[in-house]
Order: sequence, then C-alpha cells, then structure tokens
Amino acid sequence: MTESAVIDLRGSKVHVQRFGRGEPLLFLHGLQGMSENEPGLLELSERYEIIAPDHPGFGRSDVSDNVDDVKDLAIFYLDLLDALKLDAVHVVGQCLGGWIAMEMAIYASHRFKSLTLVNSAGLRLKGVPRGDMFVCSEGELLKLLFAGEGAKAWLETWRSSPDREDIYERNRAAAAKFSWSPRLCNPKLDRWLHRVKVPTHVVWSEGNQVIPLAYGEALRDMIPGASLSKVGNAAHLVNLDQPKAFAREISQFVGRTAS
Amino acid sequence: MKIFIFHLMPYAHLDMSYYDKYRAVWVVLPNTYYDPKKGFELYNRYLDELELADELGFDGISVNEHHQNAYGLMPSPVVMAAALARRTKKARLAILGNAFGLRDHPLNIAEEHAMIDNITGGRLITGMVRGIGAEYFSTGNNPAFSHARFQEAHDLVVQAWTKPGPFSFEGKFYHLEYVNTWPRPYQQPHPPIWAPSTGSTETIEWAAHPSRKYTYLQAYSPTASVVRFLNYYRECAEKKFGYTASSDQIGWSTPVYISDTDQKARDEAKPHIEHLFNRLLRLPFEMLFPPGYLSAASLANMRSHKRSVSGQEHTIDTLIEQGIIVCGSPDTVRKQFTETHKMLGFQNLLCLLQFGTLPRDLTERNIRLFASEVMPALQALTDKQYQGMSIKAAE
Repeated sequence: MTESAVIDLRGSKVHVQRFGRGEPLLFLHGLQGMSENEPGLLELSERYEIIAPDHPGFGRSDVSDNVDDVKDLAIFYLDLLDALKLDAVHVVGQCLGGWIAMEMAIYASHRFKSLTLVNSAGLRLKGVPRGDMFVCSEGELLKLLFAGEGAKAWLETWRSSPDREDIYERNRAAAAKFSWSPRLCNPKLDRWLHRVKVPTHVVWSEGNQVIPLAYGEALRDMIPGASLSKVGNAAHLVNLDQPKAFAREISQFVGRTAS
Repeated sequence: MKIFIFHLMPYAHLDMSYYDKYRAVWVVLPNTYYDPKKGFELYNRYLDELELADELGFDGISVNEHHQNAYGLMPSPVVMAAALARRTKKARLAILGNAFGLRDHPLNIAEEHAMIDNITGGRLITGMVRGIGAEYFSTGNNPAFSHARFQEAHDLVVQAWTKPGPFSFEGKFYHLEYVNTWPRPYQQPHPPIWAPSTGSTETIEWAAHPSRKYTYLQAYSPTASVVRFLNYYRECAEKKFGYTASSDQIGWSTPVYISDTDQKARDEAKPHIEHLFNRLLRLPFEMLFPPGYLSAASLANMRSHKRSVSGQEHTIDTLIEQGIIVCGSPDTVRKQFTETHKMLGFQNLLCLLQFGTLPRDLTERNIRLFASEVMPALQALTDKQYQGMSIKAAE
C-alpha cells in the first residue's frame, strides 16, 4: 500500500505518496494526474523508494499562485528536493512529468542520478501533429489515452465518488494551465537539451497518438547519450495499459545506473 | 425601458451536409464552408437591418464577438460598430461584448472603442466578456487564466480611459511602460460598461460590485434562469454590497419574432429559430467549457444542474414554453414583455430580431412590426411598473 504525506513547501501544501524500499526515485506524473496504488508504481516500489507528489493544482495538492508554468514547476521540485534533503535522485517523468524533469535537468543535472522519460511532453517537433486531448469527446479521449481494456475502468474510478470527481476536474484544469499553449511543449526546449548531463533513457508507447513515437526518437537523439525502448500494445497511459512493461523498462534502466 | 436590436450575423447559407461530419459549427467546422460571395451579401444585408432599426427609433444597436464559427460572423464587433457609426444617427452602439482578455493587447481595443465613442459623439456602450469556451480553442488563449486575464484587461482598459497618461501598468499578464490612450473617450469618465453573461455567479457579483455597478445583461435562457440571475444581481447588490441596484443595471436579451397571429408567428419562425438552437448553438460540453474556464464552484454547479446547456434538442414549442424566445402576435409579445418587466424590472431589453436562417423579408417585417406595435409601449415602462419584490413575496 502507498503511504501519503503532506509537505508544506513555502506555504503550498504538496500531497506526496511515499512508499517502497531502496534508492529514492522521484516519480513525476502526467497530465492525467495519478491515482493511489497504481500497479506500475507498486511494482517499482519493490526495488525503490517511490516519492510521487501531486503537482500543484493536481490531485490533493494546493493550487500555488507562484506556479504558473512548467519552468515554475521545475524550480518548485528543486525546492522539494531541498526540503526532502535529497541530494541526487533517480527521476522518472511521464508526459508532463517528463517535461518538468527535463526543465529541471537543464538547470540542475547534478540533482539527478538518472532520468527516465516516459511518453514525455515538452518537445516541439514541427510538422508532427499531436493528439488534442482537450477538444475531443470523452469517448475519443479514452481512445487516445488507452490501447487496452483499462479505459472504462479508469474513468469509472474517477466517477466513483464526488471527491474523486472533483479531483478529476482539478486535474483537467491544472493540465490546461500548464499545457494549453503552446500545447504540450516549450518551443525552446530543444535549444537546451544538450545541458541534460545525466544518464537518460526514453520509454515510448508504439501506439501513442497523443505524442507520437517520433517525439521519443527525437528526444533520444537530442539528449546526449540517451537510449530509447518501445512498448507495444500501449497508448499514452502506458503505466495503466502495460504496468508490468512500464515497471520493467524503468527498473532495468535505473538498475544499470544505480550506485 | 431602452430597446436595443441585437444581431449575431449568422452564416445563413450553411451547407447542412456538415452535420453528419462535424461536431459543431465552432472550432472544427472547415472555413471552406464559407462562401465570400454570400458573405458579401449577408454582411450588407445585416447592416441594412441594423440601420433600419436606427431609423425606426430603437434606442440602441448591439453587436458582439465570436471567433471561427458559422453562428456569428463578427470576430471583430468593432468593425461592425465602425461601419454603423456614421450610418446611424441616434441609436447607441452597444458592443456586447468584446473579449478584451483574449487579446495580447487589450489597449488596442480600448483605443478603437474610444475612436467610435468620439466619432459618434458618445453613443458607445462597451461590453466586456471573457468569450465563450470555444474561443479559447480558436485563439489559443489558456482557459485556466480566463477569469484573471479578463479582470486585469478590464482594469487596464478603465485606467487607460480615465487616468492621465502616460503611466505604466504592471500586471500579471500585461506589462506596459507607456499607457497614454489617444483619443480619450468622448463620454466621461468612460463609455458605460456592461457585463453580458449566461449567468455566471462570478460575473454577476463582479458586475454588481459598488465600484463598478455595471449593467448586467442576461443572455437568452429559460425564464426560470432569467428570473434567478437577474434577481441574484439585485440581491447581491442589496445583501452583499449594501445598496439598491437601479433597474438601469438590469438587462435581458432574447430572440423575438412577431407576425399577425400567434400561430402564424410560430409557423414562420419555426425552421429558422430551430436552426439557431439545434445547429448553430450546438456545442459539445468540451468546447463550451474547456478545463479551467469555469471556477471549481461553477463547474460543480453546472454538473448538478445541466450537463450541457446546448445538449437539448429544441422545437419552437419548447423554446416558447420555456421562455427562451418570445414569439407571437404583437399583442402576445407586448403583453409578455410587460408582464415579465413587472416581475424583473429590466430597463434594458435586447431583441434578436434576425436569427438562424430567417430571411430578409421576414426579418424586415419583424423589425417593423416590433418597432410600431410593441416598442412604444415598452419604451414607456419605468421602474414604477416594477413589482418584483412583491411578486416574490407572494410566491
């Protein structure tokens, strides 16, 4: 079971799930937010101590007036590492979380032991269209996010109580705040990716229609020394479509870099 | 009561085969459906209709802003108001509204409004709106900052109109070293500001605030909602802010159609009004309310009341029954407005006299009938006929 804590970061309450044993691994979730007891993270927690915060405005974390964009989020998480007295950690970022992690690494690679980017947002690739998860209907959204059977159950979990429903809407509002425009990216990110000086692995779903595989390949090429592995039968939410493959890809890479 | 004619300038020649392919006439409807030759004819016809209203003694003419859709061809209502500025003589020109916060440079709209106010010798009314949700897809603006940007744009514009320049403006969204608007508005301290809305609590409270006392304009809705929101404005002034709102601060906007008899009016209006509500206004929830556009409280409210305001398939009968439109013989229409005024006391009425595909001849007759048979009686109504509070007490 996951355990959660609330950390007060300069007046802003951050809800953090913290569980498992091993080297600390900071998991930064994506635009769809995060549930408790996600199977992929539970599996990872057998080898690592998972530290998984809800980003400001997502889940049960406060909206922070000081955090308006992804650069703010990156600095916010450098503050969080300070607050947790974590000198250097493994970081896994999915979707929005990957974008945050890259912005952090551009400024502060020394706070990383490794970086794993999973179906990451952040990069702009001109001429390679992304899926728009804001304009589409709920049915289309589920098709965009899932390749497998988990879509309906996922939505039902969010509809299971007024409290969960509120969180679902908070997540959507926070997702818009950080990724509406420019949509899902910082158009200048590619200028600075050479500054990601940390062992980096990119994990991508072959069936990702939100951020297609070409983005994963470009990240592999732009980040010095990065490698890429692909996961079949998975869409954008690979952590829910293929939790075992998700955990395996991460732990294999992180395991190679562990001290 | 002041009577305004209101126009949406719909694209009335829409090829209906679009309906099976696209979810809405907003955001995703390809602009290849728009024929500029037909547009030329429509714009000029619509402007004729508004100019006619000036000749017939309407107190005002109203235009508004919507982007990238077939519902209303006025991405810039300023252009329409400018076209009307010298062709009309007496009517107020009411831009209801401009979405100042959608712009990177709201000062540019403030300048344009000031120009129109000068050209017309002070006939301008400025409406300030956030724009509907679909606008945030079409302009790329972030809906999560919609409220905050709207308010900051408002503050910037009012300061630009009232504060001696040059001065600097240091906001969250807008940063200017030299705010120094030339020309200054003709009306002092500035043109009247109105707040049109479909009934957002935040907007009503914001408009009613004693530092603003802006006229709140309720966009067409079922009578039950009109009653609730217009009364909320008065209650809010009374209980929250400790003053009694003047009826001049209350406005209602609704489609109106008049013909010789009730039945004839229904038959004539039916296809055109149903086109407006079932086609042009059809907006999926995701487009109408992008994430962050509504406050958490408003969204929760919305969820419990209605999943989609435009989801319902209307007929002219349901529209009339629910009071969303006013339609009938001159007697029926006059009576209905007089009775509703007793209850709500709105001193501003905006009538949408062309809607959907309503053709030129029927529109012109509608405008003329309204002007001759209904308008004089309504213009005579004052606060003295308003009995709202006593009706409420009797409920």
